[in-house]
Amino acid sequence: MNNFKFWKLSIKELRGSFNEFKIVITSIFLGIFIISAVGSLSENLKFEINNQRSQLLGGSFELSTTYQKFPQKIKNWLEGNGKVSEVIELRTMLSSNKNLINKRRLVELKAVDENWPLIGSVSITPNQTLNQSINNTNVNGVLIDKNVKNQLSLDLGDTLDLGDSRIVIKGIIKKEPDRMFSFATFGSRVLLSIKTLQKTNLIVPGSLVKYKIKFIPNKNNINLSYLNKLVEGTNITVRGINSSTNNFNNFIERTSLFISMVGLITLLISGIGISNGVKGYIIKKIKNIAILKSLGAKNIQVFLIYLFQVMVIFLLSIIPALLAGISIPFLLSPIISSELFDTFQATIFFKPIIISFSFGLIVCLLFTIIPIASTYKIKPIQLIRHAAHNIHNQSSKKIKIFIFFLIFLLSYLTVIMTNDIKLSAYIFTSIFISFIILSALTNIYFYILKKINFKIGSLSELVRKSIISKNSFSKTIVVSFSIGLSLLISLNIIEESLDNKISKTINQEAPNHFLIDIQPNQIDTINKLASSSKDILFLNSQPMLRGRITEINDIKVENLKVNKDVEWVLKRDRAFSWTNERPKNSKLISGEWWKKDYNGPLLVSMGDKIAKGMNVKIGDNIRFNILGRNFEATIFNTREIIWENMNINFIFVLSESSLTNAPHTWIASTTSENKEINNNFVEKVVTKFSNISSISIEESYKAIKSILNLLIIIINSIALITLLSGVIVLTGILDVSKKDKLYEIAIFKILGASPKKISLLWLYEYLIIGLMASLISLLIGCLVSFILLYFVFNVDFYVNYLTLIILSFIVPTVVTVFSFFKMIKLVLSKPLQVLRAHNH
Amino acid sequence: MNNNSKKHIIELENVHVSLKSNVETVNILKGINLKILKDNSISVIGESGAGKSTLAMTIAGLELISKGKIFFKGVAIHDLEEDELANYRSKNVGIIFQSFNLLPSMTALENVNLPNQISGVLIDDKKGTELLKSVGLKKRLNHYPHQLSGGEQQRVAIARSLISSPEIIIADEPTGNLDKRNSEEVMKLIFKLQSDFASTLILVTHDETIAKQCNKIIKLDNGLIVKDE
Repeated sequence: MNNFKFWKLSIKELRGSFNEFKIVITSIFLGIFIISAVGSLSENLKFEINNQRSQLLGGSFELSTTYQKFPQKIKNWLEGNGKVSEVIELRTMLSSNKNLINKRRLVELKAVDENWPLIGSVSITPNQTLNQSINNTNVNGVLIDKNVKNQLSLDLGDTLDLGDSRIVIKGIIKKEPDRMFSFATFGSRVLLSIKTLQKTNLIVPGSLVKYKIKFIPNKNNINLSYLNKLVEGTNITVRGINSSTNNFNNFIERTSLFISMVGLITLLISGIGISNGVKGYIIKKIKNIAILKSLGAKNIQVFLIYLFQVMVIFLLSIIPALLAGISIPFLLSPIISSELFDTFQATIFFKPIIISFSFGLIVCLLFTIIPIASTYKIKPIQLIRHAAHNIHNQSSKKIKIFIFFLIFLLSYLTVIMTNDIKLSAYIFTSIFISFIILSALTNIYFYILKKINFKIGSLSELVRKSIISKNSFSKTIVVSFSIGLSLLISLNIIEESLDNKISKTINQEAPNHFLIDIQPNQIDTINKLASSSKDILFLNSQPMLRGRITEINDIKVENLKVNKDVEWVLKRDRAFSWTNERPKNSKLISGEWWKKDYNGPLLVSMGDKIAKGMNVKIGDNIRFNILGRNFEATIFNTREIIWENMNINFIFVLSESSLTNAPHTWIASTTSENKEINNNFVEKVVTKFSNISSISIEESYKAIKSILNLLIIIINSIALITLLSGVIVLTGILDVSKKDKLYEIAIFKILGASPKKISLLWLYEYLIIGLMASLISLLIGCLVSFILLYFVFNVDFYVNYLTLIILSFIVPTVVTVFSFFKMIKLVLSKPLQVLRAHNH
Repeated sequence: MNNNSKKHIIELENVHVSLKSNVETVNILKGINLKILKDNSISVIGESGAGKSTLAMTIAGLELISKGKIFFKGVAIHDLEEDELANYRSKNVGIIFQSFNLLPSMTALENVNLPNQISGVLIDDKKGTELLKSVGLKKRLNHYPHQLSGGEQQRVAIARSLISSPEIIIADEPTGNLDKRNSEEVMKLIFKLQSDFASTLILVTHDETIAKQCNKIIKLDNGLIVKDE
């Protein structure tokens, strides 16, 4: 009976070799740490949200309605069947005239009754109760959040105008219990009592106001479907704790998915480092393997011995990575407690640990199986012949099948993690295609290098021969660096192109300001004001009302199958406008505009892409609910909507009808070449009509840009991490080829080359390798960014040549300087000692 | 002594070994015919590059032949697969190299036990310890190769070659890396153990004095046997 215990032998053979695995350990650690940290954090947050969802919703249920107050009958029923708190939310301008500097900001007003909050508590600085700050004050006390305080330079006790009344800042909101889900908030928070809101007279017919009731029933049988029946026929929406947390859970899932993908991609790129590390290790073990085989070890035994060693190293790297990953929620718990939840207790979840472990194991096997299988090619006779210093990755059929199996497992695991087959397929196809392009370009370069010849004995010829030699690792260095640099270059081009497009739009196409919440009786005065100012080139104003699509061609929206990219149109209230005159600058794609004096059944003009996404065409019927009333309109034409020009764009423009007389507001945009005159005009309007709010496009752009910048910083960091994995690979290669290089240098020296000449040769070689990586990355970066810009962003390709040149020099500089410093000792070594050591 | 009355443990028939490189094909052995008797010792001598080591490694199953036949106790080993050859080696052949070829991460005792560990028959350290004692390394059991002198390392290699009680011991220039005093001691040890274990010894050497201690000497030149006495 064969009692071969490969693991015992494996451990014995591994002794003293841990240093060889530095690169492998670092590479595995990095990717696994990201995946496990993000997974643990996201599981903890989701768990906490589920625990605290009542508090985050502000009750067991939230009923909400836009424009109209709750019918008294429903309100009475709710009050009779549980605890109730009323909340009113609207946007408005808050202006401060502190130190004679006039500042205005769009804010989100939240007016609450004395029962608010039903669950949890609000935290205020300085410490006080809501009764002390906003409910029982004779001075119209309000609370503001940090943003409002900073934007308007406000202090406690400051007074300012809000509508028709003066308010006093009583405190700063530290934590608002049910604010978690308000991602759509446009401005910063001002909290006040409903009584104070009433005094401001900000709510006028047609104002975009959201009325909410937070409700905790006192009977168990009052559930979501019960309440939905209660509000049937109204435009009231009911949310339970489950539906309310879905948005936030989705947000966490999407964010963690994005970062996990980054971890996976880092792990895959680090795979090159892992593979090289193991390859280098096997090369160093060629003699030992030959000894084992000469003593009768079979190929499979040797394979198992080294596979086991790699698995031990894998465990040694993954355990600290997992520990570091799962400790992240614990380390962040003070921040999470102060910013998101009242009490946050970090927990260890096994799902992210299992997923990270499996990813690590599969990637580790995937990238090490080929170098380990190369032990099959090592012959015991190499003991008496000069052993080769490189191994060749020729894998057998069995190994190839195993690799395909691992790729399948990796894809399957990605599908489990993303819960999205399309996304997983997209990721893997992109990675696969990128690797093919990368490999093809690298091969073309090496082919050219093989074919060209320089003068025999010249520096260039020596370098060329060294780069293309059989035992050279230059191809691996080129591929490892090209991945990170391609990513960095394509991101840079996309960023510059988007920036260029936005700047162009801001300067040439977009209006300067939007004016919102204009009352119908105010629009004529505003038009007159605009026409009296010669410098206001264009004032575009349109009426609007918000409503919700309920049916298309008699099919309820919940049963409709529409493209994913237009689902958002059906999910929430949308703005509707109406006019019998074709809006200026609108381009019809299909159909024609109705006659100016049209007075028949309701017609609608739709955004063309949205119509296509919903699979509707001219003649189809759309039913929608506005202010609790159902309307049905027939599609008469479709228009092109260019969102990027930031003009007033309504998806739905209706023909004039009875809706014209419903309470509504107007929206206007102003465009002028002279910014100051435009600002003065806007200032005049908002001073004259306190209910009107203005939004500066430039400031909105700045806000968007700062979010975009944050995203770009994150993605650029990832690209830098991938570049770092290139450095890890380079370090490994330099370590592995140290012995051969040392021998080569010794020979050069004996033949009369000076250390200076050898250094020059060295620098030249690595500069060429770095430049090859740069050229490949430039080609791939430009190609990828062009495809994305053209097909996804629909934006012109724009390149900042200076940045591109700087980026292109990163890799040659890093490769040359890094390898030079790493190898300078070798250049200074004594040749005879080296040769003696080599011959033994 | 009538050779035919004793059984041949190794028989080589018209053995050729050629090595192909990118530039040319080098013929190292050009038709070797050789019969080796069981329990005998045979020395292989010749100039550098004559094919001495290649001949020994061919018998060990480490070098694959390009033409001819090799039999071990009448069983053909020239057409065995790689893993079958490994099996043949682990059961029947003990090899002593010029450069010792010990695993640096293992102690003397672990190195000696290695063949038995590979073939899965290692139960305890008893036999390994005994062998190390017999080669005079009683106090060096747990020393690593870098803690041993050249002579001591070669003694470990000798002990390792005997651990599986092989029928053939192949020693390829075992004293090539040793000084005169160590060479003599090592050779004494090899002959003594060959006799104690009743193994067949195939000794590759430059040294004619050492060669003469064997039952038979064959001389190789340019891949052919030029002298067989």
